[in-house]
Amino acid sequence: MFRKVLVANRGEIALRIIRACHAVGAKAVAVYSEADEASPHLKLADETVCIGPGPAAKSYLNADALLEAAISRDCQAIHPGFGFLSENARFAARCEQMRLAFVGPRPSSMRAMGDKATARRTMAAAGVPVLPGSKETLSSVEEALELAESVGYPVLLKATAGGGGRGMRRVNCRDELANAFEEATREATGAFGDGGLYMEKFVVGGRHIEFQILGDHYGHIVHLGERECSVQRNHQKLLEEAPGNRIDATLRAEMGARMVTALKAIGYRNAGTIELLMDADERLYFMEMNTRIQVEHPVTEMVTGVDLVAWQLRIAAGQRLTLGQEELAPRGHAIEVRINAEDPAQNFRPSPGTITRFEAPADTGSAHVRLDTHVESGYRIPPNYDSMIGKLIVWDESRPLAVARLSAALAELRVEGVATTIPLHRAIAEHPAFVEGRYDTTFLQKYPEVLERARALASI
Amino acid sequence: MARLMLTPIGGDLPESTVAQPAVLEREAELFARRAALKLGWGESYQQRVRAKGKLTAWERVERLADSPDAIRPLLTFVNDGETFGEEKKTSPSAGVVTVCAKVAGKWVVVIANDNTVASGSWWPRTPEKIIRAQEVAQKLRVPIVYLVDCSGLFLPEQGRSFPGRRGAGHIFAMNSRLSAAGVPQISGVFGDCIAGGGYMPLISDKVYMTESAYMVIAGAALIQGAKGQNLSSLGIGGADVHVHLSGCADFRVPDDAACVDAIRAEVASLPTSAVEYYRYGLEAAPPHFDPSELTRILPAKASDPYDVRQVIARLVDDSLCWEVMADRGPEMFTGIARVGGLYVGIIANEQLLTPHPSVPAQKRPGGILYREGVTKVSIFSRACNEDGLPILWLQDVSGFDIGTEAEKQGLLGYGSSLIYTNSTNTTPMLTVLLRKASGAGYYAMAGLPYEPVLQLSTVLTRLAVMDGRTLAIGAFNTKLDDNFKIVASSEEERAKIEAGMKAVEERIERDMNPYAAARQMDTDEIVALGELRDYLTMFAEMSYQTMGIRRIRNPRIWSMHDLAVLTGEAGGVA
Repeated sequence: MFRKVLVANRGEIALRIIRACHAVGAKAVAVYSEADEASPHLKLADETVCIGPGPAAKSYLNADALLEAAISRDCQAIHPGFGFLSENARFAARCEQMRLAFVGPRPSSMRAMGDKATARRTMAAAGVPVLPGSKETLSSVEEALELAESVGYPVLLKATAGGGGRGMRRVNCRDELANAFEEATREATGAFGDGGLYMEKFVVGGRHIEFQILGDHYGHIVHLGERECSVQRNHQKLLEEAPGNRIDATLRAEMGARMVTALKAIGYRNAGTIELLMDADERLYFMEMNTRIQVEHPVTEMVTGVDLVAWQLRIAAGQRLTLGQEELAPRGHAIEVRINAEDPAQNFRPSPGTITRFEAPADTGSAHVRLDTHVESGYRIPPNYDSMIGKLIVWDESRPLAVARLSAALAELRVEGVATTIPLHRAIAEHPAFVEGRYDTTFLQKYPEVLERARALASI
Repeated sequence: MARLMLTPIGGDLPESTVAQPAVLEREAELFARRAALKLGWGESYQQRVRAKGKLTAWERVERLADSPDAIRPLLTFVNDGETFGEEKKTSPSAGVVTVCAKVAGKWVVVIANDNTVASGSWWPRTPEKIIRAQEVAQKLRVPIVYLVDCSGLFLPEQGRSFPGRRGAGHIFAMNSRLSAAGVPQISGVFGDCIAGGGYMPLISDKVYMTESAYMVIAGAALIQGAKGQNLSSLGIGGADVHVHLSGCADFRVPDDAACVDAIRAEVASLPTSAVEYYRYGLEAAPPHFDPSELTRILPAKASDPYDVRQVIARLVDDSLCWEVMADRGPEMFTGIARVGGLYVGIIANEQLLTPHPSVPAQKRPGGILYREGVTKVSIFSRACNEDGLPILWLQDVSGFDIGTEAEKQGLLGYGSSLIYTNSTNTTPMLTVLLRKASGAGYYAMAGLPYEPVLQLSTVLTRLAVMDGRTLAIGAFNTKLDDNFKIVASSEEERAKIEAGMKAVEERIERDMNPYAAARQMDTDEIVALGELRDYLTMFAEMSYQTMGIRRIRNPRIWSMHDLAVLTGEAGGVA
């Protein structure tokens, strides 16, 4: 095992990684920006290094500063967490070049899966269904028109090079296509310097299902089942659960095995998540792969009993993954909610400031309630970063029991001084559609009463 | 302990930076001229080949390669624009296709007689071109494949390809030396192989013949003339004879496709490429900055400066580099980077102004060799050779510094030291003439006379002792005053001198054209800027492909690290 690991992130995931380091017997070197110098998680680290001023570009995204910190403190590995540099292949390559183990996949895997066309091809080759659409970049409007006929409207035009919705257009009928094609090409050229577009069938609504993967350096790869992340607001996940609703063991085993085959083919290592879309007929389609640990990994940990981050470190240190596929069937049900410092009453405007009172639910730390957070009473939320201040995770023997646990824990979780999404989660947890587990990504649009209720709860 | 710290080089180009029209026009011309040469003598000759159930030379090469983008042509423009014989015949690419191609995961040199140009006969410079391709295989000990289809010398010009030091016979000398050195040689015999074409395959380890191929010392026509016998060439020298009776060939195959496939299988059975082994567990990666942006960096006008680090950033893996001795001789760039996951040393001219070493306030123009830069390059070149690092030279050089200071410092001597270094190095070198390749700078930076494995030109390359204007001034020196103004006694005389200078300038400018150099084999290929990375990757992989032929040191024990410690470099090594 490594003697020392640099934790190249902040907030609750930094804390999570520090704990995992200690769990595997490694020392953790935490980095922080000037804006985070009072972050309580630093107290848990064995050493701390300031890597620059508040803005992320000058600190958590500053590869030079991170590498220098790792070298100066004699670290042997860098854990990137999620966000920031976690999916930056060039950063991973620099770590490798400097003999620092990058806790994640190899740069080539990050690049292959970061390229949408390659990722689609890799998955399709192993039998993972992909959405009907273009195999290569569209060469002309004519080709797009022809393809759209066979795929069936509505379709989605997407930038090959892109992300973040730029160069993306939904096309509902034939008449709209030429215009949309031109606009998307222009937008993609402007944003990415590459106007290439591809087409996918647009699935209305649909559910977000994703599979957790773990693989070692010796070709052993397992999946840890799925998570459902269909409660979203503006494509941002709010609440995640495991296992997914109405996904049976056969489907899980079959899809999981195909993904494992695909990732074996590219020699994938460490943790990763394969995101899929489930349409109204409950068919799954590959969407994309995230080559890192995810925010919502705890729900998988709760139902499998596997410490994913600890395994990430062991794998990166060259140890064998000793988990067999057969021992990874999910047990019970887990739900995670993201606690963001945003105001549900004011269209989720970020609500920075000082947390005057922070009180965890009474059961925190039991088998049923887990709270991943770096904040405490008196914590000042810096304005520089995203607004997540923690994650509440509950587990119980069945989904109904877990939903009940969630409501109870949310009622006990107290955050004062800033507005949070706690009222929204309370409203979600008591809504009949959620309680029954029958919802998709349009949940919040479809049931405006959830937001109404959240606003009402927030003002109490 | 030597831990190699490669750090980011280059940056995004401002959006306002666009390629100069002249650069794009010249590259468009390059692609058009290349495409035209690829047709050989044209569509009708291709049809004639296909009508016989055969593949064209290019079709054979493409079938042999792993994929169409695994082919790097060499010497495409040899003989371009020249005509031969009384009928003024052209010889596109000298009637022979020479490429480096990846076959079954290994780079091989392929020499394919072009059966769409005078039945693959050898023109003036064809033997020399074949020999040059053989030299590449010889230096790097990579396998060589001959796709033979050659009806012998183009006899009307035999005097220019038969007798000399690089006459056709030297091909067989090269065959022999390659064989003696253990370089795998595989031949496919496809068509009429008469005289030289008959000799070329014989020394190969393996010789395949198709059913329509024959090899003869003299063909049926010559026998008819000399002996009055009526025979068919296929009858006297086909597979029936050579595979089963004479033993001059090893295997018979039904047709061209089967022959190419059999050769592919032979290459596949050769030892695995050592490229992966020498990546030391790290991966190949594309440059972080797109090589296609090179057209936006290099100005067409040779005197306009640019940042050479921006060029290097678009050639090396992940755009990461260790610049060695960055604070000495800043007019030269020396550094180590990975290309295709393999370490290479890079030596390049800085084009921007750099400070004078003893008078820092004084700035000196780039693209010139001054003492500090020359010594740095010499030491770096030696260290690369010592450590087994292939060297990439990126030339954009006007020449050595001249004048009082230069002579007093003994630049002649320092230049000679560098020349000695490069001449005695055994590590493979690739020289790219980015733009200017002038004066002794062209020599000191491993130009073709110093036998790099390959020398590439771009569409911007100007290869000459000096440019046209300078030469015109030199030639008419006696008629000029100290400010290079014409001194004439009459208007008539002035006009005459002016015209004379203009003529000299124009002739020189014409000769500096990269096609002129490529035509007479003074450069090995003209490549588009966006293709440089591909050629460089090929060079790196070919340099590391064959094990046991040269010293390749683990980075741990590079002498380069000792140098870094002594020069007090903190950046490169920890």
